[in-house]
Amino acid sequence: MPSQERKDLFPGALEMMILRTLRRQPLHGYALVQHIKKTSDDLLQIEEGSLYPALQRMLKEGWVDAKWGVSASKRRIRIYRLTSAGAKHLEREVSSFERMLEGIRRVLSPAER
Amino acid sequence: MNWLNKLLSRRQLDRDLSDEIREHLEERTDALIANGLSREDAAATARREFGNVTLLEERGRDVWRWALVENFLADLRYALRQLRKSPAFTAAAVLTLALGIGANTAVFSVVNAIILRPLPYPEPDRLVSVQSRYTRGTPHPSSHSYPNFFDFRKYNRVFERIVCYRDSDFALSGAGMPVRLSGEVVSADLFTLLKIQPALGRGFLPEEEKAGQRVVVLSHSLWKEQFGGNPDIIGRSIILDAQPYTVVGIAPIGFVFPFFNAKAKLWTTLSRDAGADTATPMTEQRGARLLDVIARLKPGVSIEAAHAQMDTIAAALAKQYPDDDKNVASTYVRPELERLTGPTRGPLLILLGAVGLVLLIACANIANLLLARTAEREREFAIRAAIGASRGTVVRQLLTESLVLAAIGCAAGVLIAIACVKLLLPLAGDSIPRLAQTAVDSKVLTFSVALALLTSLLFSIAPALRLARTELAGPLKEGSRGSVQGADRLRNGLVVAQITLGLVLLSGAALLIASFLHLLHRDLGLQPDHVLTFSISVPGSRYPDEKQVDFNNRLLDRLRMLPGVTSVAEGVPLPLTGSQMTISFNIEERPAAVYNRPHSDIAFITPDYFHTLGIPLIEGRQFTERDDAKASPVLIVNRAFAEMFFPGENAVGKRMQPGASMRDGEAPMRQIVGVVGNAVQTPLELQAEPIYYIPYKQLFWFVPPIVMKTSVPPAAMESAVRSAVASIDKEVPIYDVQPMEDLLTLGIARPRFQMLLLASFAGIALLLTVVGLYGVLAYSVSKRTREIGVRIALGASRMMVHRMVLEQAMLLVAAGVVLGLAGAFAAGQVLTNMLYGVSPRNPLLLAIACCAITLTAALAAFLPARRAASIDPMQALRNE
Repeated sequence: MPSQERKDLFPGALEMMILRTLRRQPLHGYALVQHIKKTSDDLLQIEEGSLYPALQRMLKEGWVDAKWGVSASKRRIRIYRLTSAGAKHLEREVSSFERMLEGIRRVLSPAER
Repeated sequence: MNWLNKLLSRRQLDRDLSDEIREHLEERTDALIANGLSREDAAATARREFGNVTLLEERGRDVWRWALVENFLADLRYALRQLRKSPAFTAAAVLTLALGIGANTAVFSVVNAIILRPLPYPEPDRLVSVQSRYTRGTPHPSSHSYPNFFDFRKYNRVFERIVCYRDSDFALSGAGMPVRLSGEVVSADLFTLLKIQPALGRGFLPEEEKAGQRVVVLSHSLWKEQFGGNPDIIGRSIILDAQPYTVVGIAPIGFVFPFFNAKAKLWTTLSRDAGADTATPMTEQRGARLLDVIARLKPGVSIEAAHAQMDTIAAALAKQYPDDDKNVASTYVRPELERLTGPTRGPLLILLGAVGLVLLIACANIANLLLARTAEREREFAIRAAIGASRGTVVRQLLTESLVLAAIGCAAGVLIAIACVKLLLPLAGDSIPRLAQTAVDSKVLTFSVALALLTSLLFSIAPALRLARTELAGPLKEGSRGSVQGADRLRNGLVVAQITLGLVLLSGAALLIASFLHLLHRDLGLQPDHVLTFSISVPGSRYPDEKQVDFNNRLLDRLRMLPGVTSVAEGVPLPLTGSQMTISFNIEERPAAVYNRPHSDIAFITPDYFHTLGIPLIEGRQFTERDDAKASPVLIVNRAFAEMFFPGENAVGKRMQPGASMRDGEAPMRQIVGVVGNAVQTPLELQAEPIYYIPYKQLFWFVPPIVMKTSVPPAAMESAVRSAVASIDKEVPIYDVQPMEDLLTLGIARPRFQMLLLASFAGIALLLTVVGLYGVLAYSVSKRTREIGVRIALGASRMMVHRMVLEQAMLLVAAGVVLGLAGAFAAGQVLTNMLYGVSPRNPLLLAIACCAITLTAALAAFLPARRAASIDPMQALRNE
């Protein structure tokens, strides 16, 4: 089946969530996706695998970097960490996202004006 | 280096990604097992939650790639692998393409050389040709006389320069063997007009047009070969026709002017024609039309404006000099390139069209091969779709394979084209201006690459469309054979189209072949076998008047004595050389004004001429040695002449006055003393034209070419002839030594060239069509193996199966032939001007073409039919 049917909410949303999560602590892919699922209370239906193309994109942009390590359960894991460029990018994205949300909110509830 | 590092580290990145994904799946599986699922369920759930692993991995990898190019490279590698896997298909497709593209490239390179390339002079667009419009009979272009040219030059306001030129032969003597050279007599502005700077020295000065001025510009190659490339030659004298000419310049390397006489090796001014050796100089004879004229438009002046002004001047001249100019009261002004390529343009474009048809047939063939292959590969495509390839990816893959085929075919085709150009061009002789410059250059290469792209698109449209329409997963279902009715219709349609086009080409080729055979086997009216022809150039300065006749007598006597020679004569122009001389005359019984006089071909001959060439005397007598300047003026006409000008009468004894005389003053009235059979004068004429003959001794303007009947092979006489001439005068050059049969071969070189080209196109087309038909039938038989097996098992005889396949083939052929007949009629119409003695709607030839294509089609159907008939029903059914 083509996977495009379960897309991100909007372009960049998944990336923003990943960056936001990684700002708190470095994580490996599996932990990252479980964390996002848990915190969103499974409201966001993300396909677990779609995390990886996104991570590759961010590696390329230099927003995150990755290192192989070993988990507490003796598993080989690849831990992603936010870089300073990633942090800046996140800030920019969040503020523009908030502006957008504000815009949408005003349009959706015009009575307030 | 950066990209190299990236490329190397990319492998690491890709490995990391796969490892990471595998670890993810394992971790998830473990977690699910901990939640109480079985290992199997856990692994399946983990995968489901993860999504399409392959696709996601690929998308992850894509991030790092220069996606477009790399996808293409991957497709390319895959395509090459696929093609290697089926060598038979690849070979068939590449060969088909190579033939198609090669033939097209070869023909296009000729078209490019002759029609498309601009003239090799600066600002060639402003160069125009100015011709007289001769309005007696059907108006046609004609040459100018010197006085008219001078008036055009003086009165026009539309041309920057205007120049006249005519071909002339020169005998170069002095050092070593005398050489005969082809050259041009031109007005002084030639090099200025062409904007060509001589490599050494200068062009001509206006005062060098005056009588007695003898200056010459040499071609670069002549200067190198005859004068060792010595720059001191400028200002020195060389001996041409026994007179000193001062070398004033050397033309640049590769300079050609005019293209009608590409052999011209030197240029001199019209002062050569201003000197009065015998009669009125040519430069003062308004009736002597022998000049070509080229001009350069002033910037901003249109061709139409120039034409209008030339017409005005021509009309004024016609009013002032009605005797000479009444029939040339208007002009043709057109681009020089157009005049140059005019006569060859039509046939060339026809050939280009024909070879285009061959390419279409080739495309249909490859499309058919690809369709069959696509059908066979349906399972492969289905599997690829099942593991995540989109329809677009599969189509893209197919297009890539086509492109790879086209690229290989194109490369092979260009090689074929280069070989063709090398092999075929010599067959055309030098009858077509600029043909010799044919080469596979960058423009031609661009053409063939564009062609390859276009064809690959053309032949992959059908399979790609079909693939896009079918349900890709279908073939994976149990027992499905995955064949759709629509594809068969498409394949049949392609074969019908091939047969249609093939028949068009075949009928065209049949017409040209029949026309060529007609040229070969027609009655020439003369016997060209065992005849040697050659020319000598006897300078008028050393052999004036009667001395020339004396020289000629000695020469003929000497030649007659050679062993192996049975008879010797002279004549000008010689039959089959393609040269003609036309002079008007006045018939005594029906005198007419000068501009209204009849005219026909004329030739000057010595007494044994008809005997030597085997032209029969019909009435009266032949010329004898006694018909000389002192005897009463006589002439002999051919039967066509007698029938045209004296219908129903006896021509012998009639008197007429040709406008040709030895000296100034009235030309003599001549009596017809004999009528001879019609002999072909120009090699391509359909019926003999009227011609009249005058004895050489009564009009000895120059020594005519010699014809010798021999009892030995004529070519073997050459050295004997050379020493015989040298024993009389070793300064006299001999040239054009040729058996008359070679003249005939040269004369029909152009139709032979066209015939050979079209016949080989038709041959290729037929071959491709047969292969196409065979492919379709063989495929359909193999697909229907089970059906045929059932039929045989149920009692159908082998005969019936055999007939079933043949019927399928003949249905296709019949459809193709019906459609092709319409096309063949149209093709015949297009070919009309290239045919000699054959009607373009010859039903017999058309029938032959139809038979040929039907028979070859039957041959193509035979093998698949036999295979079908020999199907073992048990095996066919067991295979399922």
